[in-house]
Amino acid sequence: MKKHLLLLLSVILVAMSLSACGGGNKNAGGNASNSPDASGGNSGTNTPVVEEVADPFAKFDEPTEISVGRGIDPNYKFDGTDTSEDNVYTRWLKDKYNIVVKHAWEAANGTDYQQKVSLAISSNDLPDAMIVNETQLRQMVKAGQLADLKEVYEKYASPALKAVYDSNPGLLDSVTFDGKLYALPETTLPSAPLTWIRKDWLDQLGLEPPKTLEDIEKIAQSFIDNKMGGENSIGIVGTQQGGTLYSTFLNSTDHWYNFSSIFFANGAYPGIWVKDADGNAVYGSTTPETKETLALMRDWYAKGILDKELGVRKSTGEVVASGQTGIFFGPWWSAYNNIPDNIKNDPKANWRAYAAPLDASGKFNSNSATGSSYLVVSKNYKHPETVIKMTTLHQWGKDEEYQTLTAGKQMTSQEVPLFLILGAGDQLEYAVNSLRDYLAGKMTLEDFDNNNYGWAYEMANHALNVKKDPMDNYDIEYWDQETDAGFFTHLYAHLNGGSAFVDADINWVRSIATAQTKTMESRWTNLKKLEDETFLKIIMGSTDLDSFDTFVEKWKDQGGDKITEEVNELK
Amino acid sequence: MLNKGFNRHYYLMLLPGLIWLFFYNLLPMYGILTAFKEFNPGLGILKSPWVGLENFQYMFELDDSKLIFRNTILIAFSKMVGNLLVPLAFALMLNEVKHKLFTRTVQTAVYLPHFLSWVIVAGMMLDIFSYNGPVNSLLEVLGVQPMMFFTNERLFPALLVGSDVWKEFGFNAIIFFSALTSINPEMYEAAAIDGASQWKRLTKITIPSILPVAVLLATLSLGNILNAGFDQIFNLYNPSVYSTGDIIDTWVYRAGLIDMQYGLATAVGLLKSVVGFVLITVSYSLAYRFANYRIF
Repeated sequence: MKKHLLLLLSVILVAMSLSACGGGNKNAGGNASNSPDASGGNSGTNTPVVEEVADPFAKFDEPTEISVGRGIDPNYKFDGTDTSEDNVYTRWLKDKYNIVVKHAWEAANGTDYQQKVSLAISSNDLPDAMIVNETQLRQMVKAGQLADLKEVYEKYASPALKAVYDSNPGLLDSVTFDGKLYALPETTLPSAPLTWIRKDWLDQLGLEPPKTLEDIEKIAQSFIDNKMGGENSIGIVGTQQGGTLYSTFLNSTDHWYNFSSIFFANGAYPGIWVKDADGNAVYGSTTPETKETLALMRDWYAKGILDKELGVRKSTGEVVASGQTGIFFGPWWSAYNNIPDNIKNDPKANWRAYAAPLDASGKFNSNSATGSSYLVVSKNYKHPETVIKMTTLHQWGKDEEYQTLTAGKQMTSQEVPLFLILGAGDQLEYAVNSLRDYLAGKMTLEDFDNNNYGWAYEMANHALNVKKDPMDNYDIEYWDQETDAGFFTHLYAHLNGGSAFVDADINWVRSIATAQTKTMESRWTNLKKLEDETFLKIIMGSTDLDSFDTFVEKWKDQGGDKITEEVNELK
Repeated sequence: MLNKGFNRHYYLMLLPGLIWLFFYNLLPMYGILTAFKEFNPGLGILKSPWVGLENFQYMFELDDSKLIFRNTILIAFSKMVGNLLVPLAFALMLNEVKHKLFTRTVQTAVYLPHFLSWVIVAGMMLDIFSYNGPVNSLLEVLGVQPMMFFTNERLFPALLVGSDVWKEFGFNAIIFFSALTSINPEMYEAAAIDGASQWKRLTKITIPSILPVAVLLATLSLGNILNAGFDQIFNLYNPSVYSTGDIIDTWVYRAGLIDMQYGLATAVGLLKSVVGFVLITVSYSLAYRFANYRIF
């Protein structure tokens, strides 16, 4: 899932600006001897802070190697003989900046990659740098495996990079432990689950887009009854094998292909810590609202409205692509994945996103994102500044030479090593709003803030190639998919999904805890297993609804109460 | 009997195997220490702090521990029985068919699945038993409501055992085929002359002749009673069948590799090894007693 998000976001945050380029010609390379020693710095007595600022865009004097652990997408098509280790981007890094990227290992994105990272951590056999998740980051901090990046960050980060982190308050603090900066965190883009529906089917059956859970139930039922997706039409698809029913405080909140939406519409926030009526922390999965939602899902499952194979299905995307279903829940960028395949098979497939279902009081709820990916550097690596430099160069180093080399091709996480999503919080909002204004003729290309929102400008340049009149209708028949196929998907996702998301009035609910507490470290495996098992069984009807109460009791008993106490202290 | 000069080259031939055993099986054993420590990757196994039996204590507190041991033994034992009886019956039946080309073809066809990985077989299984899959279509014709097989706790172990036996019986039958060919044909001829029926010949000659092989295989497989098949289950299970399908290996995988509770995972794994070691010792002594089979 992460893979798709990365591929997509890779292209969003291109060439934001060269504003930081003004630096002098100070010699930034070859000073490894006096660059801060990351592995030391513990005595706390001396370590004079180097106040000088190096030019973030200077070339190293001599080739500087960095070995990385790399997540790859086995299906990605490179140009010519390029590989993820040797491609136009890495050659540019090498020729222009003397940064030589070597792969310590590669693993397919997703489970394989996570497993490889965990193995690297537990065997203490680390590459110089890699991208890890929050649990892994904490593990590495505890194990003392990481370099303190504070000084190299101060010295080598470009003003633009610092500005991004300044515009996301608290982000760097969340990776600072005992005054040491242990990672560069990703700036997460907002995401709330929308309801995606085949509007062509709605029109065919004379149905209105949904607002409430009841609407969705009715729509799903009539999609099934009228065999809209063929003989074996499936109502609502979601969780696949190995997936979760809803996003939790530990896995980032990309609600793609799960059932978070149903819970939110009942005011239930499973998987995160919320405040109860008295203001005390309570685990969302143990609340009566969650039980109600499970009862509803159990009912829907029995009626065949929910996919009978939820939790067992190998690939939910396949069902969407094949046109067997007409409803799923997913974030605004869902239009990037599987839907284009469905359109290829069936040009009339008109997927539209709606900010639904609403709760009883008409509010649209979502839990809000927590951090997800972190760029970390091994304490044994001699040149931690390389990592800061690479991050800066990726976002802001795209000069003329780079443009010529890449010939306008968007570099994705497959070309760019140590890919990190960085951006000011309102990238999406700006892109969607300005594109709409541009298409409506209320804005010209010159009005775009190309410096800060380069990607929006880039898309606007292609907008008229792909959008047909009427400009404010995003149904599939008003798009030209052929002329500028590369940008069709971008604009389609931004205007179809993005606008539904930007226009929605979202009631964000934040988790009190965003990382494991002490007791969770030992007990969480067991508690999570209990939860996953009970909930799935309740939905599928293989145990009765009252086993929810037994679950809550057991959960509290087996460490839940202790953990809740710890979370209460975090408030 | 012990002629040193005679034996030396045998020991030499043993050497590569012993070296392999040392590096891959004996050397990594110091990792067992993790079970008694609060493992910190930065410090390494040796320098991590000791916690005594804390990991074991927690393991026995968990309801899961009993469950996964029970599941493991149940599934592995059923597989053992199935993987012994089905190939045996199959070999005996095929042995009665006298058409050479037919037996050869069947023999080849049935052992092919053995060479498929579980990732592939699991994918096929999930499709075949899916809600709209062939099995449910068949049931529908018979008037049975379609159902979900892989979320059904009661059916899940049966599906595991069934698919494992299906995948392996052809391969496991090979040893019985070879045992059958070693039976002296004169016995059959003599029996035929004395007027023994086909059935009598089967029960009085064939079965007694291959019984030692069957007993041997059965006792030797005892050592595997805690290996319920990680590959298979990992590719087929989901949370709703944890209660009957979660085995030691899948649990250790989740605790150790996903949740990074190294100490606990190692403790569970160690307990498995200890029990496994006892069982192997017992099975070899039984094998010696009943089938006169010795490895030393």
